[in-house]
Parts: sequence; C-alpha cells; structure tokens
Amino acid sequence: MISAAALVPHPPLLLRELGGAQDPVADLRAACLATVRAVVAGAERVAVVGGADTARRWDPTAEVDVRRFGAARPRPAGASPPPSPPPSPPLSLPLSLGVGVRLLAEAGWGGPVVAHSLAWDAEGAALEALAVELAAAPGRTAVVVLGDGSARRGERAPGYLDERAFPFDDAVAKALADGEAAEIAALDAGLARELMVTGATAFRFLGVLGRQQERRPEAALTFRDDPFGVSYLAATWLF
Amino acid sequence: MLTLGHRSFADTDRLVMAIVNRTRDSFYDRGATYAEDAALERVRVVVAEGADLVDIGGVKAGPGESVDVAEELRRTVPFVARVRAEHPDLVISVDTWRAEVGSEVCAAGADVLNDAWGGFDPALAEAAAEHGAALVCTHTNGATPRTPPHRPSYDDVVADAVRATVALAERAVALGVPRESVLIDPAHDFDKNTWHSLELTRRLGEMVATGWPVLVSLSHKDFVGETLDRPLEERLVGTLAATAVSAWQGARVFRVHDVAATRQTLDMVSSILGERPPARVVRGLA
Repeated sequence: MISAAALVPHPPLLLRELGGAQDPVADLRAACLATVRAVVAGAERVAVVGGADTARRWDPTAEVDVRRFGAARPRPAGASPPPSPPPSPPLSLPLSLGVGVRLLAEAGWGGPVVAHSLAWDAEGAALEALAVELAAAPGRTAVVVLGDGSARRGERAPGYLDERAFPFDDAVAKALADGEAAEIAALDAGLARELMVTGATAFRFLGVLGRQQERRPEAALTFRDDPFGVSYLAATWLF
Repeated sequence: MLTLGHRSFADTDRLVMAIVNRTRDSFYDRGATYAEDAALERVRVVVAEGADLVDIGGVKAGPGESVDVAEELRRTVPFVARVRAEHPDLVISVDTWRAEVGSEVCAAGADVLNDAWGGFDPALAEAAAEHGAALVCTHTNGATPRTPPHRPSYDDVVADAVRATVALAERAVALGVPRESVLIDPAHDFDKNTWHSLELTRRLGEMVATGWPVLVSLSHKDFVGETLDRPLEERLVGTLAATAVSAWQGARVFRVHDVAATRQTLDMVSSILGERPPARVVRGLA
C-alpha cells in the first residue's frame, strides 16, 4: 500500500557541491528535507520516481554523476596541463532520481529504496501501471516524486518569460495543496511542454497515484518559490 | 605546511602580505604611512581587506634618506608592539637586512623576518633562529642594500636565483630556523633588469619545484612599468597579471600594496585550479 507521497523539485543545485561555498538554495534544501522526512516517517520502503529520457527501473545505490554538471577536481600537483576527466560511471542515475536518493540519504532514510524513471512524454497507461506496481508491494510504501514547475517565469529565467506560466503553476500549486489528484492527473501536457514544465509527467504520475488510493490525501504545500525563474514546488500527501 | 608565528597554512593557501611602510620616501606610497597612526590605520584596513600578514618596513628599498640602525629601530620596534597588541592573530613580518633590528622586532612580536637583501647581514638568519621566527631568503645577486641594478648579467637568472635562495634556506635551517618557516623569493627587480624579472616570472615553477614555499614581490615594480610602458600609478593591472601567472605556477605568498584586488585575483586562480569552490554558483543549475 501507499502510505504517503511527496513532491520535491530536482534542480542540480540540490546537489550541495554544485552551489559553491555558499548554499544558493538553503531554504529550498531545508524544505525538501522536511518534506521527505514527513512522508518516509513510518514507511517500510521508499519508491523514488522522476522523469528521464527513458522509463526503467534503476539501481538505487547508484548515484547521479555530479561531474556532468561541474564541481571542482583539483589539479594534481605538477600536472600540466590538467588531466582529462575520468569517464562517467556506467550506470549513473538520471538527475531527478539522483537528487531524490540524495535527499533521502540526507533525510536520514536508511531503509529499502526502489527507483523508477518515467519517460518525459509518458502515456497515462504507463503512469497507471507504475502506480499499481508500487502499491502492490507488501508493507507501507512512501513515494518521493521529483518534478519541477515552469522554467519560464521571468526575463532571467532559463526559458525567458511566458505569462501563461503563472496561472499554470498556480493551478498546480492549488491542486497540490488541496490534494486534488484528478486535476493534477489531467494537466495539459502540451501547454506544460511549451512552458518548460519538466516535471509535468511527474506531476501527472502523482495525480494518478493519488487517484488510485481509496482515501483522499491529507495534503500540504510545503514550499513554493521561483528564485531563478524556475518554479519549485514541494508538497506532502498523506494517505 | 607553512608555519608563520603561531599560524599554519595549507599548501593550497595563497597568502596576501600587505606592505606597510614606515618610511618617508618609499617608491609607491611616498610616505603615506610614515606616521605611526597612519600606519596603524593602514594595518586595520589591510586586515579588513583580507591580508594574511603585514610586512613592516622602516627603510626604503631604493636609494634615499639615510636610515641608521637607531632610526630603523625607532620606526619599527614600537610599531610592531602596537600592531601585535591590536591584532594578536595577525602574522607580522618585518622587512630588514639588519640582525640588530631583526632581533629587536622579534622580541616586540614579529613572526617573520623578510631578508629582502639576500643575506647581506649573515647574522639576520641567526636572529630568526634565536627567536623562532620565519625567514624569507631572497635572491639579490650579492647586491649591497639600497643599490639599484647596473648592468646585471646572468648565465641563467632562474638557475642563479634557485641556487642562491636554496643555499640561504638550507643555511637558515642549519642555524635552527624551522624548515616549515623558511620561504624563498626570487626578488624581481633586485639586481635584475626587466628581461630578468620577466624570465623569473615565466619560469617561477622552477623555484616552486625546489619544494621551498615561494614568496613573490611584484607590486607596481619597474619591470611591470617598463613592460607595459606605464607610470607608477598605472601598474595595478600588470601587477595582477603577474600575480595570477605566479599563483598558477605555485607561488604561495604575495607581497603587495593592493590587498583587495590581490585577494580577488588569488581567489580566482585558486578556483581555476580547483582548490577553492566558487562563492555561489547558480548559472544553468536552477
């Protein structure tokens, strides 16, 4: 059974080493950890679900390859020119799941984890099937869903400004806060694509998962901000 | 590991040594901090700007007003004591070639003796050893203090600087100066023409490769001015370029007038080297 679900965003900045000496997303990080802790409390296992280029099950002990985004590799003394970076590990997690397992670890979760990616353009049937599969596992499963809102919320946003981003994100935030699973499951995937909502599939998955549960969730929106023009939303749904 | 007074620094630390002159006629500041209160205020400013150590001098490096031992003591010893009282954790260096002065300033609280005239007074290293002070061993090609270069020539200026400074460093250790408290300095412009100083900068890695921590003193010097054809007050850009190149090759201590600009330059080099995280990174990562 599904005991609870969390939604958290997955900007690379949540990988602490990428932000530099200061933490540019300290408040977001704190909110995400609190959100994750709230849903894993009392769970027997955790499922991490996020968007990626392909749908598959992942080894949750793998990690995201942070070097793809940066982070310093000190030049070994005397090496000139600096050496090329070593090749990526063969099975690194996609960003969304990598942030998810990192948050879980930082939240102190030491229990079993399964990790599933959903294709960015996943059909509804794929979402339904994964939700059924996760619920069928024995014991209480908490689900941590990774997804971001629109990246077109300002002139300095990654996708510049699209005024439609504001009502779109407002509607998602309201549905998250109210536990309106059906509304989120039915969000406009085409508009979401235009608004650079990379979490659209993840949002829809959360909606499908919620719709399948017998009880309406006890819902709370635990964070909402867009400091860099990308909408970050966090929420807890306790079933 | 580099130990200066009671402070220890990692090999990846790049230290800013702020020049504080108690002279009437030094080439760049022209007496601005000759008065003790002005010099004390200068110390406060450079500490706030991020200086790791100050280098207090009572005698202009070039020719000028005669300063005997008594006058140099008068300019430096009480001032060192006041700086020590006001800044207990600051590393204090004194730029002097005289052993009598070295002894007295160490007793007053100095941590480093910057022997900018390359062992002209052999007893200065003994004074450092006696007081447990650090010592900067400098290449001046045997020049007499306060004399400008006249037709200096070298088979290989870098090899000469390495040989001379390493010999001074080994001698200092033999006399009892702690090995982790000895630095070497190629001394740009000291008995060198601009070609020599450029070559020392270009090949600074050869000095670094000796294993002794390297101090460079580049600030507004004539080799910068001649290279860029700039007067004294327009040499900061060239100084910072030479600073970056020296830091990239492994220099550890930078003796400068402009602390804030140097700190930024060194932080940038440290981050390029991958030894210091950038302050705050969000570009493309939101």
